[in-house]
Amino acid sequence: MSRRRFLGACLGGAGAGLLGLTGCGSAEGSASAGTDHLSLWYWKGSLSDKLLATARRGVPGVPGLKVRGSQIPDGDIDSKVRTSLAARAYVPDVTVVNNDNLATFFPDENEFLDLRELGAQSVRDQYLEWKWKACFTPTGRMIGFPLDAGPTALYYRRDLFREAGLAHEPADVAEEIPTWEKFIAAGRTLRAKGPGKPYLVSNIGNVFQQVLLQSPKQFVDADNRFIGDQEHIRRAWDLSVDILRQGLSARITDGTPDFNAAMSGGRIATMTTAVWAINGLKDTAPKTSGSWRLTTMPDGPANYGGSYMTLTRYCRDPEAGFAFLKWLLSPANQLESYQEMALFPTTPAAYADPAMHKPDPFFGGQQPIDVFGPAAEKAPVVYFSPYEESANTPFFQELTNVEMLGKNPDRAWRDAVNTAETTLSRVGVS
Amino acid sequence: MATVLDPADAPAANEKQPAGRTKPTTPGGRRRHFPPLLAISPFYVLFAAFGAFPIVFSVYLSFQDWDGIGDMRYVGLKQYGWLLQDSVFWHSVLNTFEIWFLSTVPMLFLALVLAFLLHSQVRFSGAYRVAYFIPNVTSMVAMTVVFGSVFAQAGLANSALRVIGLDGVGWLSSEWGIKSSVSLMIIWRWVGYNALIFLAGLQAIPTEHFEAARVDGANSRQTLFRVVLPQLRPVVLFAAVTSTINGLQIFTESQVLFQSTDVGTTGGPGQEGMTIVLYLWQKAFKEHQFGYGAAMGWVLFAIIAVFTVINWRLVAGSDDDRRPGIAGLLRRKGARRGR
Repeated sequence: MSRRRFLGACLGGAGAGLLGLTGCGSAEGSASAGTDHLSLWYWKGSLSDKLLATARRGVPGVPGLKVRGSQIPDGDIDSKVRTSLAARAYVPDVTVVNNDNLATFFPDENEFLDLRELGAQSVRDQYLEWKWKACFTPTGRMIGFPLDAGPTALYYRRDLFREAGLAHEPADVAEEIPTWEKFIAAGRTLRAKGPGKPYLVSNIGNVFQQVLLQSPKQFVDADNRFIGDQEHIRRAWDLSVDILRQGLSARITDGTPDFNAAMSGGRIATMTTAVWAINGLKDTAPKTSGSWRLTTMPDGPANYGGSYMTLTRYCRDPEAGFAFLKWLLSPANQLESYQEMALFPTTPAAYADPAMHKPDPFFGGQQPIDVFGPAAEKAPVVYFSPYEESANTPFFQELTNVEMLGKNPDRAWRDAVNTAETTLSRVGVS
Repeated sequence: MATVLDPADAPAANEKQPAGRTKPTTPGGRRRHFPPLLAISPFYVLFAAFGAFPIVFSVYLSFQDWDGIGDMRYVGLKQYGWLLQDSVFWHSVLNTFEIWFLSTVPMLFLALVLAFLLHSQVRFSGAYRVAYFIPNVTSMVAMTVVFGSVFAQAGLANSALRVIGLDGVGWLSSEWGIKSSVSLMIIWRWVGYNALIFLAGLQAIPTEHFEAARVDGANSRQTLFRVVLPQLRPVVLFAAVTSTINGLQIFTESQVLFQSTDVGTTGGPGQEGMTIVLYLWQKAFKEHQFGYGAAMGWVLFAIIAVFTVINWRLVAGSDDDRRPGIAGLLRRKGARRGR
């Protein structure tokens, strides 16, 4: 290529890009305008690759409907959706939204289609009750559709429990450790009698998180009032601080090299987390395979994570978009997604399927679904406000200060409440 | 100007005004200016879209309350008022300065020493130059993973300390540990870059000065402080100003070093690694308070402006003969050429 042609090509490219920028406002705003398919944004691992490949050729049962997915890095997708909505241009027809982020769109709920108007009620029975309810905004519009769930369980090291003289079979552990108080007592025994004096938890932030998720109320209520200084939060705080005070926390941040070393080395006896942590644990501590077991979380199951799908108001063909959601997230396809991508279904009918009842050697042949299935059905209905992250960040931060820097817990609590109140007052929460 | 590029334009332009350069704004003149303007337009168009517009818009944004999608609400100077009362913001300002000081001072000194060594006759100096510059172009995210292992409780840094009989340090879990590890990453990344800048400055010093110093019996230390440093003043100023601007915008190191799935760890324990830009990012892009973020951006701009002036004064001194900056550098070069 000659230099002149190269320059010409560059200029032409820049010009075309600029024309595209100015031209888009006049179109209807959908990223798929002028094509024969609907556009979908998702992040790697959030949807089944096989089903997306099928949808690209044509959604079965919906003649003429093709959906083309674009992978967006999961840290960026929320801002990217926001940016395109603000610009009213290149908005995807369909998008995946992470659990924590659906509520951040509530103040702008009209940017998304109300799925009730597209006949969502007809499939309501297929989905988990609490997950379905979480798809609704406080004004009663349904802007999300259930993708996957994150039922929680207590992961524990059977060998460490046994050698410390504790109950160690899943059913017995569930019976012996029905509450967080009993959990802490077991932690004391582990620390005193367990081999190598293992810690109960890696850090207390995880426990705080789980106790919170068991509560239907979080930090801000549906009337936009700050309720983070109330009893339900204080209880989660006190339990976490108690674990630290009794020396049962390893005081290690999850995901760090220290955490990986402690997990492989058997210095941490339990994990309080959701079903999606299984693969991470297998990668982190492959040598501990066979020693882990799963049982019911103290004080009962909850949901941690999981995602939704939405149709934006720029969706070129809402009927077709909803038909795609109905197909992709049907019980049969959720089962396929579970087998392919370990996405935990939000359709309880799938739990009974033999395909979900595979013994897992990492858990000594235990079937994870026996714990996670009932957990998913029993998770509480929780209200998340759009300002949850602004409100809970100071609490997590102050808890880290207590744990890592030895800050006085009562002072930390007061500071957390004050910071949260100040931050929230700026966004209109009192 | 008299030679018209486009032959089709030439007769028309000549008929109307034989002296085309007197009235450059006539249509013919404009058309003549069109090709060069077109040639430089990609920069200006891109700058207008991605440079000028965001700057102007962020001023406007700092007087609004906006979540990024819905309607903006005019709040006047409230964002700035809130910011001045925000203790986390002031904490992040203090952190930024502490980290900046901990990193920039040793970094510039190290860079100078390295440049001095590279300037003397060493073998494979080209290879050294490449080696020192590589950290600057390495993906910071990848490097943070490596540094994460180095600064872990049972990591390389603590193992090294134990070998020489010292206690391990909570690199990522204590106030000064956090600041030191972030600073070490910054030093590692920028020392080679600044060494190359200093090296370029050193090479611009005429060899006669070194020869004269040697003839007069100066040792290498005296050469460094009496001959090299005074001549390097403009380059040092450049390095100091850019390091200040970069240093006050520290972001990646802190953000990635404490990356974690839970929100409580932004900036690390005690938020000791929370820098101004990291806090801006958290408020604007995690909590969707774009007006607040914009206001913070402008306060940061003001802080950087003030410190650039202070830097300028400090490094330039009050000596008129050694007026700093490009002008001084050019004048001195011109004088040299004249000689």
